[in-house]
Amino acid sequence: MSRTAVSGSAMSEAVALDPGRLRGRPVRDAWRSFATAARLGWQMEANWTDPLLFFIYSVAKPVAAALILVVMIEVIGGSAGRGLRAFVVVGSALWSFVVSGMAGLAWSVLDDRERYRMLKYVYVSPSAFGIVLLGRGMARLAIGAMGAAITLAVGVAFLGVPLDLARVDWPLLAVAMPLGLVAIVALGAMLAAVCLQTRQESWSYPEAAAGALFLVVGAVFPLHVLPAMAQAAGLLTPLTWWLEGVRQALVPGSASAIGGDGSLWAELSGHATPGGIEITAALLATSALVTLVAATVFRLSERRAKDRGLIDRTSGS
Amino acid sequence: MNALVHRQTAGPREAARWNRGRILANNLRSVAGRAYPRIAGLAREPSWVFFEILLPFLTTSSFVFVYRALAAPPEYVGFVVLGGAMSAFWINVIWMMAAQLYWERDQGNLELYFAAPMDLMSVLFGMAIGGLVMSSTRGAVVLVIATLLYGVTFSVAQWALLLAVFVLTLAALYGLGMVLASLFLMWGREAWHLTQLLQEPVYFVSGLNFPVGRLGFLGAMAIATLPLAVGLDAMRQLAFAGSAVTLGTPTPEVEALILVAMTIVFLVAARFALRTLERLARREGRLVTRWR
Repeated sequence: MSRTAVSGSAMSEAVALDPGRLRGRPVRDAWRSFATAARLGWQMEANWTDPLLFFIYSVAKPVAAALILVVMIEVIGGSAGRGLRAFVVVGSALWSFVVSGMAGLAWSVLDDRERYRMLKYVYVSPSAFGIVLLGRGMARLAIGAMGAAITLAVGVAFLGVPLDLARVDWPLLAVAMPLGLVAIVALGAMLAAVCLQTRQESWSYPEAAAGALFLVVGAVFPLHVLPAMAQAAGLLTPLTWWLEGVRQALVPGSASAIGGDGSLWAELSGHATPGGIEITAALLATSALVTLVAATVFRLSERRAKDRGLIDRTSGS
Repeated sequence: MNALVHRQTAGPREAARWNRGRILANNLRSVAGRAYPRIAGLAREPSWVFFEILLPFLTTSSFVFVYRALAAPPEYVGFVVLGGAMSAFWINVIWMMAAQLYWERDQGNLELYFAAPMDLMSVLFGMAIGGLVMSSTRGAVVLVIATLLYGVTFSVAQWALLLAVFVLTLAALYGLGMVLASLFLMWGREAWHLTQLLQEPVYFVSGLNFPVGRLGFLGAMAIATLPLAVGLDAMRQLAFAGSAVTLGTPTPEVEALILVAMTIVFLVAARFALRTLERLARREGRLVTRWR
């Protein structure tokens, strides 16, 4: 067969290929990368044991975290402190989303770089790196959701959380929940950007960062007990508004973490507690800001990692 | 004469015959060698100061504010501060001791450890000493800054016993870490997930932020089995002498004895478990099996 014939045959095969695959279909390709990464992430998180043990593992952490706070209230307040239980249990249940969501993306970087040493291959694959990380992070977010649901169920069944489905503010919940999840994923992307630059021991960094945010977002105590500067930091954090929105949606009329006597919010706004529209607007603004910052930080970190050869680095101590 | 100086021998059999001094010197070098990367690594990447000292301090502060919101008596703030300081050691034990041999296997170092002419316990001691430097720094910073910032007043009547209890708690904690490290050697990803599971549930049953005696039977079980629970309770009794809120648990002297027993049991168990599991792992070919 002559060279011309070979190249002609190759040409005809190339023509037979789907040209869309060569050009790429951004949305479809991104979705495929995301779905595959999410499925892989779920397999990695869930297939190490049988379903029962996996379930126990998934709920033990958030339930124990909520019980620590419940016992603290019980020790001090006794029956008088029981009014705070719903506040604490709902905040603590929702916090499991934050811990899982922030850790998911960061741990994907560490998992793939330090343990499985696949990050360099993932990086050079045609899939967008950020999309793959988002997909991997979704699995942990799903585990966080499971933990949150079970903690709430335990709260309703055993700890007296007054959750009444007929009274739930569904529109507020429908708006606040996805906006909050976007903010959590954005914070996770920032942590992933940090972990791209750091060594193997960064496993605990997402939890440490989440723990620090725990102080200023009013998850388990109202912000007005904090100094004004810390309250201001809390008001600029989307998680504060997300927690407030979801808490007010699930248990309408429950104590506000943001407002109250002596709070910075009351001082600035002139009224005691924020309403649904104020919560939604603040959540939207702060989430958009955090997402923009996260995208910039991630891009800068990615560029620096590529420049300094950090993507295939492994470390230990 | 230096025990590690190379000597001419008549043959390999004689070369393999080491005297006690040489064995001891070799294992001490192994301890120092394993501790070195952990200590040197602290200076090479300073980001840990922010993520492992400052941020955990803020987490501890959260629980201080929970008590402030509840208008709790001041000693409860002290309990949280002490718990926050001790949690640094627990985190270090589970992440950098218990799961470490599992990491080493994934990184390909484990087979080198087994091939090297040293006792694997030396590696574990080295990891413990290296890890202690980081966790002691974190614990001390949390204790000092939180004490100053939140105005915690300690009332210590028996300093010597308090120091002894602290040292015994560390010994028992790191002994437990060695046992877990041996167990984790047999496992794959279960080890990673178990590490996760050993945080909040253990904080809860150990009474990290409240007196463990309030948990009743569960608290008693924790005092009998978990060094963090018994050590923390003894230290609280000694650091806040005369406080009525720590009543309902054994005296610090009894708890010190429990810690002595735990230390001995954990160290012996670690040695036994390491040998047994090393044999099992060799038989089942798990020493070099990665990424399970």
